[in-house]
Amino acid sequence: MKKRQKIKEKIFSLLSIAGFLACWWLITDVFQLANTSLFPSPVTVFETFVDKLTNANPDGNILGVHILNSLLVVGIGYFAGTLLGIPFGIALGWYKKFEMTVRPLFDIIRTIPPIAWIPIFILWLGIGLIAKSAIVFLTVFIAAALNAYTGITSINPVHMWAGQTMGASNWQLLWKIGIPTAVPMICTGLKIGFNTAWTSLVGAELLGATEGLGYMIQMARVYCRADLVIVGMLTIGVIGLVLSIILDYLEIILTKGRY
Amino acid sequence: MKKRKTNIQWERLIYGGAAILLFLVIWQILVKPGSAKFATPLEVGEFILQHITTKVGPCTIWGHAGWSLSRVGVGYILAAAAGIVLALLMSQSKVCNIILHPLFDLLRPIPPIAWVPLAILWFGIFEKAKYFIIFIGAFVPFVMNTYTGAVRVDKKLIDAALMLGTPPRTIFFRVVFPAIVPQIFAGAQVALTNAWMTVIGAEMARATEGVGWMILKGMENADMAQIVSGMAVIGVTGFLIAALMRWLEKHLIKWNVRER
Repeated sequence: MKKRQKIKEKIFSLLSIAGFLACWWLITDVFQLANTSLFPSPVTVFETFVDKLTNANPDGNILGVHILNSLLVVGIGYFAGTLLGIPFGIALGWYKKFEMTVRPLFDIIRTIPPIAWIPIFILWLGIGLIAKSAIVFLTVFIAAALNAYTGITSINPVHMWAGQTMGASNWQLLWKIGIPTAVPMICTGLKIGFNTAWTSLVGAELLGATEGLGYMIQMARVYCRADLVIVGMLTIGVIGLVLSIILDYLEIILTKGRY
Repeated sequence: MKKRKTNIQWERLIYGGAAILLFLVIWQILVKPGSAKFATPLEVGEFILQHITTKVGPCTIWGHAGWSLSRVGVGYILAAAAGIVLALLMSQSKVCNIILHPLFDLLRPIPPIAWVPLAILWFGIFEKAKYFIIFIGAFVPFVMNTYTGAVRVDKKLIDAALMLGTPPRTIFFRVVFPAIVPQIFAGAQVALTNAWMTVIGAEMARATEGVGWMILKGMENADMAQIVSGMAVIGVTGFLIAALMRWLEKHLIKWNVRER
């Protein structure tokens, strides 16, 4: 019964989207109610999408290159950010002296939105891969560290006392109790970090880049290609969503057997 | 006991303060005053103090902050109204939910900043485009949080009201809505943070005033003092409006203590 209901809901969702596309198409192509250069029909958007797979105009690269470029930047920044951010956050939660010293600095840096770092990074590092990766790195670092810190500080004291009673060293306490407790929060941090990082990346590419999806839609605007802009936006959305779902699955794998 | 607590607070102050001071000193030493792409903390401080009264471009620092805040204000209020209404519609009416929810889910993954080029194409380079982008940024959290809150209202409350003979309309206004308000506030806070971040991005992309414009201009002029001053203003303003939101929440929904 429930399965049938779920299938019904899925069909209705698809119908709704199909209906929306149909209305969109009717408004633009059939009844010509809108200025088609600003408001392209879904058919045009699809054609542009297919075309961009092989056509390097007007921004100098095909869609695939832009996607790969954005993914590369996000990948580097994300990897570096989690690699450094998670241990930083764990140390922040575990060692009191470290927290007291570093936390105020971290909080100050944290209040500044990642996007606001773009101008200063571009000034220092130019408009290439390094600057964009740096912005993604910063975004992910903050999110990962914050969530790792929250994870460590949410350790049940009873678990700690049990470990101490049985004579565990500080290091053992950290690895056997601390980190496992923090893993769910760390996973949340990974997901949030990715979403903010993807947003920051688009922002960075809009302002200072020569390839990437953000650059593509910016150039499309300059050339008044609303259809290309929409193709870019949808690509950004879809890729962000797909990677987000992958991270969801990663979380399920990592937190198997936890409540 | 009290003595121990104040001791810890003093420790925090000393360690934290020392770290910040050390950071500033090292920064000051490492950078030559007057160099091209870098500025010392003193130069940044000087910039901020100087431009409280003199203008950076078209207005003072207050002016820029004001511009940015006004844009946030317009987009935010529109997003709150539209978002809450939409979420309530989707939660109360199955038909609306089936039609509108998939569309919302389709547009949700697109980061607000990705709307900037389209907004500029549609609305031009002046205020309307920015209001639109901020609207998008704040709209999503409002809808999601209100919808989740509405869907998760404790069934027992509704059942109890039904049992006592309350008409459906009254149930909505006296039972469902008050139960959702804390969740709406949660959405409001996320939306506010999003809106603030989005306005910076929108201003950096295309503007002639505002804090986002200010730091972008700083980048173009290789004036790090201007950039850092702008970042400081952005950080402080963002912090203040978030604190304002929390204060509002504390005082407007006294009947509910939400888990932080």
